[in-house]
Amino acid sequence: MAMAATPSRPFDYLESLPGTTFYKLYQQPSTALAIFRRMLPDLAKCFVMALLYLKDPLPAANLEVWVKAESLKERDNALSILGRLHILSNTMVADNTRAYKITDPFASSLRQALTGAEKTQSFGVLSHLSNSDSRSIAELDEYARRQWEGVLGYMVGTSGLGIQRDVNLSKGVKQLLQAGHLVEIRDRRVEITQDGFAFVLQDVSVQVWHILMLYVESADAIGMSSVEVLSFVFLLSSLELGQSYDKKHLTSNQLRTLTDLADFGIVYQESPDTNQFYPTRLATTLTSDSSALSNPISGSLSGPTGGTTDKAGSGFIIIETNYRLYAYTSSPLQISLIALFTTLKYRFPNLITGKITRQSVRRAIEMGITADQIISYLATHAHPQMRKHNVSRSTSNQAGIPPSVLPPTVTDQIRLWQLERDRVKATAGFLFKDFVSLSEYEAPCRYAEEIGVLVWKSDRKRMFFVTRHEQVAAFLRSRK
Amino acid sequence: MADSDEEYIGGVSEDEDNNPAFRGPRGEATTSRAKRRKHGGAEWEVSRTWETLVEGADGTISSTVEGLLEAGKRKRLLRDTTPLQRGIIRHLVLILDLSQSMIEKDLRPTRYLLTLRYAQEFVREFFEQNPISQLGVLGLRDGLALRVSDMSGNPTEHISAIQALRDQDPKGLPSIQNGLEMARGALFHTPSHGTREVFIIFGSLLSSDPGDIHQTIASLVADNIRVGVVGLAAQVAICREICAKTNGGDYYRYGVALNEQHFRELVMDVTTPPATYSQKQSTNSLLMMGFPSRTVETNPSLCACHSKPSCGGYSCSRCNSKACGLPADCASCGLTLILSTHLARSYHHLFPLMNWVEVPWQRAARSSACFACGISLPPVPPKDQWQTAEGQAKGVSVSSRYECPACKNHFCIDCDLFAHEVVHNCPGCQSKAARFMPTGPDTMDTSV
Amino acid sequence: MNAVDATEHYETSARDPAPSLLTVILDTNPHAWALLENSLPLSKAIANILVFLNAHLACNYANEVAVVASHNQKAAWLYPRVRQNTASDTDGDAAMNGSSAEPGQVNKYRPFRIVEEQVTQNLRELMESTSGADIQGTNSTMMAGALTLALSHINRSSIAWAEAHGADMAAAGGDVPPTGGSTGTDTMGEGLQSRILIVSVSGATDSAHQYIPIMNAIFACQRLHIPIDVCKLSGDAVFLQQASDATKGVYMSLAEPQGLLQYLMMAFLPDQRSRRHLILPTRVDVDFRAACFCHRRVVDIGFVCSICLSIFCEPPENGDCLTCGTHLEMGDYGAKPAVVARKKKKKKRVNGQSNTATPTPTPTPGP
Repeated sequence: MAMAATPSRPFDYLESLPGTTFYKLYQQPSTALAIFRRMLPDLAKCFVMALLYLKDPLPAANLEVWVKAESLKERDNALSILGRLHILSNTMVADNTRAYKITDPFASSLRQALTGAEKTQSFGVLSHLSNSDSRSIAELDEYARRQWEGVLGYMVGTSGLGIQRDVNLSKGVKQLLQAGHLVEIRDRRVEITQDGFAFVLQDVSVQVWHILMLYVESADAIGMSSVEVLSFVFLLSSLELGQSYDKKHLTSNQLRTLTDLADFGIVYQESPDTNQFYPTRLATTLTSDSSALSNPISGSLSGPTGGTTDKAGSGFIIIETNYRLYAYTSSPLQISLIALFTTLKYRFPNLITGKITRQSVRRAIEMGITADQIISYLATHAHPQMRKHNVSRSTSNQAGIPPSVLPPTVTDQIRLWQLERDRVKATAGFLFKDFVSLSEYEAPCRYAEEIGVLVWKSDRKRMFFVTRHEQVAAFLRSRK
Repeated sequence: MADSDEEYIGGVSEDEDNNPAFRGPRGEATTSRAKRRKHGGAEWEVSRTWETLVEGADGTISSTVEGLLEAGKRKRLLRDTTPLQRGIIRHLVLILDLSQSMIEKDLRPTRYLLTLRYAQEFVREFFEQNPISQLGVLGLRDGLALRVSDMSGNPTEHISAIQALRDQDPKGLPSIQNGLEMARGALFHTPSHGTREVFIIFGSLLSSDPGDIHQTIASLVADNIRVGVVGLAAQVAICREICAKTNGGDYYRYGVALNEQHFRELVMDVTTPPATYSQKQSTNSLLMMGFPSRTVETNPSLCACHSKPSCGGYSCSRCNSKACGLPADCASCGLTLILSTHLARSYHHLFPLMNWVEVPWQRAARSSACFACGISLPPVPPKDQWQTAEGQAKGVSVSSRYECPACKNHFCIDCDLFAHEVVHNCPGCQSKAARFMPTGPDTMDTSV
Repeated sequence: MNAVDATEHYETSARDPAPSLLTVILDTNPHAWALLENSLPLSKAIANILVFLNAHLACNYANEVAVVASHNQKAAWLYPRVRQNTASDTDGDAAMNGSSAEPGQVNKYRPFRIVEEQVTQNLRELMESTSGADIQGTNSTMMAGALTLALSHINRSSIAWAEAHGADMAAAGGDVPPTGGSTGTDTMGEGLQSRILIVSVSGATDSAHQYIPIMNAIFACQRLHIPIDVCKLSGDAVFLQQASDATKGVYMSLAEPQGLLQYLMMAFLPDQRSRRHLILPTRVDVDFRAACFCHRRVVDIGFVCSICLSIFCEPPENGDCLTCGTHLEMGDYGAKPAVVARKKKKKKRVNGQSNTATPTPTPTPGP
C-alpha cells in the first residue's frame, strides 16, 4: 500500500543508478527534499526524520522495537526502499551491534532544506519584476495546457483521427517521443505505438514524470550529465507557481534543459534570451503524490472549451451501469482518446455519447491499451456528479470500504473483456530453487514476501520467484 | 406474505397497507391541532418548497437555494438555550418490539434489522451523553416481555446482547403492558435522585395485553416513570395516552417515524437528558465522589472489585484500593469512583452556549473575516442595496455574519454551527482573558 | 481469472492518500518561559518548532500547518493569520520585511519560508503588544481559546477538503477562486487527517478556571477523531494529560527541554497513518482529577450535585448548589472527620441500591 503511492517508473530509474550518482544527486537540498517527499512511503519518512537529527547511529534493535510487531512487513519494505535509494546505511557501532544512520550528503542536504542555513541556489532565485511584466497563474496554466495538449495531440492526432495542430512542436520533442518509443516513424508518417497509447491514457502527473525520465535518460546522449539534469528537474519541482525566477545563476546545461522543457509546457519563458522563467503547474506539482492536485491541469486540459479558468478538479465523463458513456467535452484530443475504447454514437457541440462494448474494448486492447488504463482514465475524469453520487452512496453503506467512482459492473466487465484475450502475464525476475531443507527455503521466502518482491512460491518444490534478487541474496549470505 | 393466514388478520392487513403513501392522511386525522412540539403531523404535510423560490437578479435561483441551505443549517441551531435543570443521572429501560410486525420491509432492510442497528447506536450514544446513567433492554415477543440485558452502565454488554438478537426472528404479538410492568420492576429500586424512563420502539399497531393497561399507566405515574415511544407504523392511541399521562400531559415524546432518517433522529433525540419538572418528584442529594488516577504497575496485582489480576487500574482516591474499570463503587470503602471526563461530558447541557445573533449590514463593516476560521465574509455593499437582500429566510443573517452577544465577534455560518453543535465553546469569548468577559447569565465561566 | 475480485474495485480511490493538517498550539505564557530561560529560551524553542513544522510540510506536498499562540491574556493566530480590519498598512509592512530579507540571504523552499516569516513576525507583534500590566494581571494561558480556534480552523479545512474532493459544492460556493493557490499552500489540498500538538509550559492550577471549555474542546476532538499530542516542557498539566488520553494522542513530559527537536521529530512527527505501525510514547498513568467549581481547586475527592453534576471541593453553604440553586440533601460530610467513614458507608447503601441490577460480584464482604 505504501508502494502504491510511489510511481514505479521514476523510482525504477533512480534505483538503477550507481551509488556515486546518488552521492552527487544528494548534494542539492532540493533533490534531497524531492526524493524524500516523492519516493518514500510514510513509514520510511518517519524513520528518516527520526534519525535526521540524531548524532549517533541508531542501533537496529531500537528501531525494530519502535515498530509494532504486526507491521513487520511495512518496516522491512520501508528499510529496503531506504537502502535501495542509498539513504540509510548500516554501520557497526562499538560493541558490534548493527545500527542505522542516514548517509551523509542526504542527511546534510535535507537538514539544509529544512533549516535553509546555507547559501545555495537550490531552491531557485526569485527575480523581481514589475507587476505589468509578470504572468498570472491563469496564463501559465493556459500555456501549460496548450503545450501539453499539443504534445498529446501530436501523438494521438497521428493515428488518423484528425486534429488540427496549433502548437509547433520542436524537433527535440519529437525526437524524444521517438526515443521513448511512444511514436514511430513509418514511411515518413508518425504512428503511435502501444506504449504511446498507454501513455496518453495516463494521469497527467504520471505522463510528466514519464517524459522527464525519458529526457534524463537521453541527456547523456546529447552531451549533458544526467545527474545535473535530474537535480535540475527536482529543483523545478520545488519552485512556486506564479513566481518568476532568475536565470543568471543557472549553468549553460541547465539553460538548455530549460529551453527543452519549455517546449513541453513544464516551464514558461518569454523567449530563450529573457532573464526570467516561470515554472508551470506541471512542474510545481511534480512532488505531489495526490492525484487531486494535478486535477487543475488535467481539468483544464480536458476542459470543454479549453477555457482559461476551469473549475478545479472537474471531470466530464458520466458512465452508467448500462455501459453508456456521456462526455461533456469538445476537445478533439479527449474525443479521440475516448474513441479509442468506446463506440461513439452522437456528437453534439459540447457532448458526445457512446457505449463501451466488447468490440470497442477488444479493439483498444489489441492496440496495447490495458483494462486498468481505461478504468483509471474513466475514474480520473469522472464527472463531479458521479463523485457526488458516490459520496452519498458511501455514507449510506456502513462498510468501511471506499466504493469506486465507476459502476462496479462496468469495471468488472472491462476487466473480464481483457481477460478473454490476455491469459498469461509475464514478469521478469529471478527464480530461487534447489534448497536443501525446508527451513532453509522458508526463511528467505518469508523475507522476500516481507520486502514485497515475492511473486510466486511453491512450498512443495521449494522454489520461489522474486522480481529482484539483491536483497534476498544478501539475506541468504548473511545467514551463512 | 406468509403471515397473512394467521388469526390476527385485521392487525396484519392494517400493517400491510401502511406504506408511506397512506401514512400522511391517517396520521393527520389522528393528530390533533393541539401543540406539536417537535414531531407529529406537521412534518407530514406536503411542504411546497418550490413556492418559496425567488429568482435572483441574474435570473438564477442559486442565491435563494444558498439562502435556504443556510437557513436549514441555522434552524437546527436556534434552540432554547435557557439552562434547564436536566436529569443527568438517568435510569432508562429500552423496550424493543420483537413481534411479527417487525418483519415488514417498509424501512430498509427490514424494520427489525434497522431497529436493532439503531438500538446499538442508541446505546453507544446514550452512554456517550449520559456516562453515569444506567440502561436495561427488554424485548416484546409472543405476548411476553423478554429480558435482553439487565440494568447496567456498561454499553458493550447491551450492544452484544442486542447483536445476539439478530439471529432470532421476530414473531408473535407484542404486549406493551407486560413490557411496562417488567420495566417498572427494573426501575423500582433505582435511587430517587436519578430519572426513571422507559423508551419503546414499537412497530405494531396493537398490543395484546393480559390485563388493564390503564392500571399499569397509573402505577407508572405513581412511580414517576416517564415513557417515550417511537412508532414505526402509524400513531396508536394507547401509546399516545401512555406518553401523555406519564409526561405530565405532554405527548411530544411520542413520535412516528416517517422514514429511516427520521426514525434515527427520533431515537437519537432520546439520548439528550430530559428536563426535570419543577414538582419535587425526586430528592436531590449531594454525592461524594472520587476522581482516581490511573496507575500502572510492573507486576500484576488483584483488583478489589473482581479479584482478577491486572497490571493497571484506578486506585481509590480515599483508600487506595484498586478498581479495574470506571465508573464503579470502591469495593472497600464504598466511595463512588468516576472519571471526571464522565461528568464533564454532560456540562454542555448545563451551560449551553448562547445563540449567536444575526448581524445586519449596519454593523457588518466591523469585520471582514470570520473570527474563528478566517474565511472572508462578503464585503458590505453600498447602502441602497441593503434592503433588497433583506428578509429572505428567517434566522439567516443578510451579511452572512453571526455575532456572539458576549464577545461581539463575528463568525461565519459554519463556525456558528460547529461551535454550537460540536465544541460548545465560543472561540471569541475563550480567546480573551476572563476579566474582559461580561458576567452574563450564561457565559461559559464556571464562577456563578 | 483471480484478477477480478471485489477488492480491485477500490484500488483507484485508495491510491490517493489524504494530506494531513498539523495544528500547533504554542503556549507563550511569558511567566513560564521566563522560568525556562536557562535551559531552553523561547527563541530557541521557536526555531526548533519551525524546523519541525518544515519537516511536517516536507512529508507531503499537500500537508498543512497552522500555529496558534495561547498567550497569557488571549489566544491568537500565528499562522495563517487572519488580518481583521487592519488596512493595507500592516500588510505592506509585512511584505516589505519579507522581500528585504529574501534575496540571497537564505535560500529555502518557499512554503517553509512563508510559514517561518509569518510565525516570527506575528509572534513578535504579539509579544510587543503584551504590556507589563497584562503580565502582572494573570499567570495563566488561554488554552481553551487556543483549542477552540484550532478546532474551528480544522473544521473549516475539513469542509474545504471535502468540497474539493467529494462534491461540486466548491463551484456552488464560488468563493474559492482558482488563483487561491498563490499563497503556496493550496486551499483545496487541506486535509481530513488533522491533529493538534500542544507545546505546553504552564501549570495546571492556572487553567482550572477554564476547566469546562477545555473539556468541551477535548470531547469535540474525541468525536472528530483528532488526536491531541502534548509536549510538556515544564510543570504538569492535569487536563492536558486527560486530553491526550481521551483522544489517543501522544503525551510526553520532557525532562530535558534541550533535546526538544529530537523529541518532536521522533514522537510527534508521524501522522495518523504512520502511527498505526509505530509504538509511540503514551502516558500510562493519567491524572484524572477535576477542578471544583467553587474555588477552582484541583481535587481528587469532590462533592457532586446530583442535578447538574457540578463538582465542589466542600459541601456548599446552606446546602444550595452554587450552579443550579437546587437545595441538596446533605450527609454530614466533612463536619466531623472521624465520622466520615461511617457516614460514607451509609451513603454507599444509598448508592448501592442504585446498582442493584448491576452485576458486581464483590468478593470482599462488607464489614
